[in-house]
Amino acid sequence: MYKVLRLTIREYLAAVKTKGFIIGLLLAPVLMSGGLIASILLKDHVDIREQKIAIIDESAQMGDFLVMAADQRNESGLLDPESGEQIKPAYTLYTVTLSDDLTTLMNDLSDQVRAGDLHAFIHVESSVVQPSLDPENSHINYHAESASLDDVRDWIRGVANDQLRRLRLANAGISEEQVPDLFNWDWITAKGLLSMDESGQIMDAETSNEMQAILAPIGMVFLMFMMAMMGAMPQLSSVMEEKTQRIAEVLLGSITPFQFMLGKILGGLAVALTSTIVYVGGGIIFMNLRGLESYIPYDVLPWFIVNSILLIFMLGAILTSLGSVANDAKDAQSLSFPAMMPMMVPMFVLFPVLKEPLSSFATWLSLIPPFTPMVMILRLSTPVSIPAWQPWAGLFGVIIFTLFVVWGGSRIFRSAILMQGVPLKFSNIIRWMTKG
Amino acid sequence: MNAISLTNITKTFADFKAVDDLSLSVPAGSIYGFIGPNGSGKTTTIRMIMNIFHPDSGLIQVFGESRNDSHTDRIGYLPEERGLYKKMKVRELLQFYGALKSGHSVTADVDRWLERFDLTEWANKKVEALSKGMSQKVQFIATVVTKPELVILDEPFSGLDPVNTNNLLEAILELQQNGATIIFSTHDMSTAEKVCDYIFMIHKGKKVLDGTLNEIQEKYGNDTLRIRAEHKITDLKSLPGVEKVHDFGQVQELRISQGADHQNILATLLKTNRLISFELMKPSLHDIFVRIADAKEVSDV
Repeated sequence: MYKVLRLTIREYLAAVKTKGFIIGLLLAPVLMSGGLIASILLKDHVDIREQKIAIIDESAQMGDFLVMAADQRNESGLLDPESGEQIKPAYTLYTVTLSDDLTTLMNDLSDQVRAGDLHAFIHVESSVVQPSLDPENSHINYHAESASLDDVRDWIRGVANDQLRRLRLANAGISEEQVPDLFNWDWITAKGLLSMDESGQIMDAETSNEMQAILAPIGMVFLMFMMAMMGAMPQLSSVMEEKTQRIAEVLLGSITPFQFMLGKILGGLAVALTSTIVYVGGGIIFMNLRGLESYIPYDVLPWFIVNSILLIFMLGAILTSLGSVANDAKDAQSLSFPAMMPMMVPMFVLFPVLKEPLSSFATWLSLIPPFTPMVMILRLSTPVSIPAWQPWAGLFGVIIFTLFVVWGGSRIFRSAILMQGVPLKFSNIIRWMTKG
Repeated sequence: MNAISLTNITKTFADFKAVDDLSLSVPAGSIYGFIGPNGSGKTTTIRMIMNIFHPDSGLIQVFGESRNDSHTDRIGYLPEERGLYKKMKVRELLQFYGALKSGHSVTADVDRWLERFDLTEWANKKVEALSKGMSQKVQFIATVVTKPELVILDEPFSGLDPVNTNNLLEAILELQQNGATIIFSTHDMSTAEKVCDYIFMIHKGKKVLDGTLNEIQEKYGNDTLRIRAEHKITDLKSLPGVEKVHDFGQVQELRISQGADHQNILATLLKTNRLISFELMKPSLHDIFVRIADAKEVSDV
């Protein structure tokens, strides 16, 4: 065991004493969550330039209202209540008279948008208040360079629909005062399930939110992905180099192939755990400082640690054995893609599993050993209750599979590590694994 | 007692028989030279002794016991190809290799060996900064720093200049004097002749020579004439009883057939040439090596 430990320490120090590790440790989370961080940092950087919008109102009932609503918004809703600074752009809406040809008018307005004279234009069709009379002409169309992601469209949607309801009530002879709660919108609160505590008292369901539903599971899976990338992936090129630079034979003069492989895997695991301590510890401290400690899924952390260790062991065994098969960097590169499948497949199905963690697809995928560590953690991190037997069954499967991979990997490693120039063939790998 | 005993070992890679029914005994405390052409099976044999390869059949015994992993710590191994972590510093690397082999710190021994090979000032430099010769010396230190009972050196002198070759030879002899058994493979026949107690030659996986230099040479007898003449002699091949001529420029060596009369050859030469020297001798190891390696068919010795 001393020899394995000695090799583990060397592997660990060789990895963490490099500038690359420190830079990677700092940059990996930034790269992984770059979009999120950028959106948070740029949240307050809003374009506050005036946005002019023309309205073609074929219904003759909406245009003036929208102009008035925009004026009201411009008077009351553009400034920060505390600093008094403008934080939103003014929307300047005006109606245009419909000439003989609607198509020509819309084309002219489109040119103005392209030229930057207009932000957008709105086309209110004639039957928008009473769609049942002429369903084909009952829509409001928003025309802009980037209409689908435009904030103005979101604002208009709200005020236009409220006004349409008012007009329809008026057409039905009902005054707004008769139904004062008509515009009271319910967003439907997302809640978990009720449960009974140890004393038999029924506990109220907790309100769930997007942070719990999305960020915690994704954060866990990305962290596991980073651990595997830092702890297991380098093994492929590292072993390949030790093979091609003939270091492997020197080491095999002192240790067995199994000790060699185990030392490398444990070294990688130690590297991954170092980064985990930094990330998990840093994350917990950050969340506590920001008062977000309730979002930390402490109950999932033990599963996370165990599954992460097994994932790195499993990937480490696969990658060290494949590294022993590779003859050069090109071989290593071509082997890295299939070796990464236990990490990549869970990333591909992240959102389907996140959306329906109890679906048959999510359940079965989380019980297929190569994918279990990441998919099971993804499911466990959601607010949904996973049947208690499933994490244990998954863990059992992963342990069995990992033992198999270590066994097979060590047979490949033992045979291939001193084979120079043997062509990279799947049949060779299978032969080394089965026949040793 | 034998440090190593190989009994009928065979090793095949796919369809290629690298070692074929090989038996060999290496007495403890001896220096045993492994010679043979490239690809003859030397390295495969050594790797089997090191337990890196397992024989398909046959028995390997080390220190009187069947080979197992526990023997590894008692054997120092210098592979044919040098394998050093280029980014590690020399002292750190030697400490790492030493501790990996012995299970304890070898710092004092590392420093002593570094000093012996004039590498002290390189101790804190990275391996990638070393010349080929210095790397070779570092690799040698890594092999012997743990004071192994059996030292296996595969081509230890490659890349070394004559001075460093002599230093290494002195170190090898010192290891032997301290009780170690030394096996080394080499293509340098003159070194093998000078240093080895026993010589073993393998060719096409089979043992073709085994014994002391004298024993080996005795098998061939006095069948070599070394001639130096005032003027280079041509047409030596036509002399009676001459089988082969090796022309080294200043010296010419003739292999004569069994029963050939060397006095008759001398008399014939003197009729038309002035000779500086004429010597009847046993064949050199180099010559024996070439005779075997050049032969189309090899029979067991």
